[in-house]
Amino acid sequence: MKRRDAIRAGGSIVASATLAGCLDTLGFQTQSAWRDPPLPSNRPDAVYYPAIVEEMGMYGMKEVPAEGVTFALMFSYPHRFWTVTGSNKQRVVVNSDDSLHLMASLWDTESQTVLPVDISLEVLNDGESVTQRSLWPMLSQTMGFHYGDNFSLPDEGQYTARLSVGPVQARRTGSFESRFENSMETEIDFEFDTTNTYNLDLRRLGTKSGERGAVEPTMEEMPAGRTPMESALPGEIIGAASSGDATFVISYIETASRFGDQSYLAVSPRTPYNRIMLPLMSLSATVVRDGSTVFDDILTETLDPVFGDHYGGTVGQLQSGDTVTVTVDAPPQMSRHDGYETAFFDMPPIEVTV
Amino acid sequence: MSDSQRWLSKRDFMRVAVAIGGTSALSACLERTETPDLPRGTDDPSSLPPRQHAWNQFLERDDHGNVKQPRHHVLLYVDYTGDTPTESERETVEAAFTSLERAYQRGFQGLLFTVGYSPYYFERAFDSGPGGVDLPTPEALAPFEDPTPDDPDAVVHLASDYAQVVLAAEEALKGNRGTVNEVEVTGFGEVFEVRDRRTGFIGDGLPAENQDVQGIPDDEPVPEDAPLFMGFKSGFEKNQAPEERVTIQDGPFADGTTQHISRIRLHLDQWYDQDSRSQRVGKMFCPAHAEQDAVEGPGDNLGNDSQLGSCPAHTEEDARTSGMVGHAQKVARAEDGERPVILRRDFDTTDGDAAGVHFVSLQQSIADFAATRQAMNGTDVAENSAVGTRTNNGILQYLTVKRRGNYLIPPRQYRSLPAPNPA
Repeated sequence: MKRRDAIRAGGSIVASATLAGCLDTLGFQTQSAWRDPPLPSNRPDAVYYPAIVEEMGMYGMKEVPAEGVTFALMFSYPHRFWTVTGSNKQRVVVNSDDSLHLMASLWDTESQTVLPVDISLEVLNDGESVTQRSLWPMLSQTMGFHYGDNFSLPDEGQYTARLSVGPVQARRTGSFESRFENSMETEIDFEFDTTNTYNLDLRRLGTKSGERGAVEPTMEEMPAGRTPMESALPGEIIGAASSGDATFVISYIETASRFGDQSYLAVSPRTPYNRIMLPLMSLSATVVRDGSTVFDDILTETLDPVFGDHYGGTVGQLQSGDTVTVTVDAPPQMSRHDGYETAFFDMPPIEVTV
Repeated sequence: MSDSQRWLSKRDFMRVAVAIGGTSALSACLERTETPDLPRGTDDPSSLPPRQHAWNQFLERDDHGNVKQPRHHVLLYVDYTGDTPTESERETVEAAFTSLERAYQRGFQGLLFTVGYSPYYFERAFDSGPGGVDLPTPEALAPFEDPTPDDPDAVVHLASDYAQVVLAAEEALKGNRGTVNEVEVTGFGEVFEVRDRRTGFIGDGLPAENQDVQGIPDDEPVPEDAPLFMGFKSGFEKNQAPEERVTIQDGPFADGTTQHISRIRLHLDQWYDQDSRSQRVGKMFCPAHAEQDAVEGPGDNLGNDSQLGSCPAHTEEDARTSGMVGHAQKVARAEDGERPVILRRDFDTTDGDAAGVHFVSLQQSIADFAATRQAMNGTDVAENSAVGTRTNNGILQYLTVKRRGNYLIPPRQYRSLPAPNPA
């Protein structure tokens, strides 16, 4: 069903109050539908199909040629989400004056690698600042990895979004080594028109809702922050295991110049189903050989043109029979939309034998 | 008096008056409130401390011994109109300052002020930096910020518990008033031209009464008892450098200090609408404070110390395992022994109808400020943990530094258009 049809059914399109009324016609209760939609009662501690999924709209994409990156600004209607600090999550419901949900993403134009770097967004109207904030890093089923928040805009009309980032803080390797070191900024003009926002597709997942699984990311023009398929990862895959419903693919590279010509352990955690990257974690690893610990250190979040965002360390040469244990010291500190908020919290260590 | 003034509370009105400034605001201020019977200042300048920044002995302390900053502040940004200062120009400026000292007793119930000079002043007027002091031009102090450098020649910082006093002092310096507090005063004349004024406030109740601005949610979340917009106390006695520590010890500007002023915008929609109280406590102080629910209200229960204990030493570990680090926890890593190296004299503002901070900080050298800010950036921590550049990295997510400026506050005897090597 098109949201606009629902809106037509509900009457004229003016304010959020009207929209809430429209959601009513879809079978939701007015208040909770807008602020805090119902959650499936049987949510697993894993990725699950939410009750409803929505289409995103694109306000614009802009390349910064000097840096070889592209910014994008997308929109949807205001959304509930959960912020994460440590293993605690805080449910953020939609405020009565929230106008829309704005999302931004930044990627290397050539490789389409999404960059994990906090994005600030200032909204201007006629050159005057309307609002400014640092967006939350977020995970949603329809968008993948992105940055976003709910915004309140004073009126419909023309706005400019000024998007800015600092350097990527993750270690960078290979052709990325000397990239993404500068602050970058771009502006994307957009027209906030509630009709566009509320015309976005809405899909109810019915009986699937609450079941393990995830819908595919819907944005076609831009990358969703997927990690490479296991078969595309370089080196020897010494294991792939699940923890907290995330898949950890562990690869071993005997020697590569971009990792300092030393033996390198690369851990690539990703969401199940869609292989979305999971930055902002603390991972560490041990290697035990014949009962003795031969490696025990943190793994460093690293952005590599082939692995993408992953966690790695130089471990020394591994031998057959070595036990590699990867420990999650802190789960991904990303805000979560429906379907991801119960996964990736209780994450026991992963043990693989070479 | 207009209707719009009538419904403003007294505190709100005073803040608005300081923000608007000028003679009309001052007269509205005087009309609205009874002029407090304030003691005059002194005719004997030698009775005043040689250090302009010696304020603490003239300020009130709370029950825990924490210095309470004056409630109302004005920063007056001025440019020197001449080429190289003459004795006559120095006398004009000095006469203006001395007349204020005659008019108001030094203190929170009278007037406190400093004047600082920028590196641009020394370069423009003398082609040389100040002797014995490293006074760099302002620059970005975090990889993710892009502040505009402030380049006025000088900044006068006026402070008092009384809005009328800072307004009257400002008007006096600008030459718009011949008497204040029934004492004859003189202004800067043509020597200085006013370029900008920035205003603000600090103290219980003022932020709550002035929260109807951009950057703060509409539901007025700032607690009534909070001294600052973010809801917590700061400037605990043990988390401030002593005045002695921030004083230049030798050279031509001994007994002076350096001043850094940042213009910071606050974005507290997320802070109040999306973070929990526990997240706010953890991000402001330390994850342990959040776990132990150690902060009551704005933090009066902490006494004279933010009670960080082993938090600073555990910064990296907290980042690794809690996925979050506290602002105070990170900043304390820049301490020299047991005390910080900067003395905060910051205050909140609604300049531009947006919530912000004028972060005024005094330190022996600007490098002390840069080191403190570097500790606050937590870049080292973020690189090796789940903590983001801004996300869960203290309070970095909630502020943007728009402008930065560096100044030298000379000792009082050289406060008027100093040469690089006075004396």
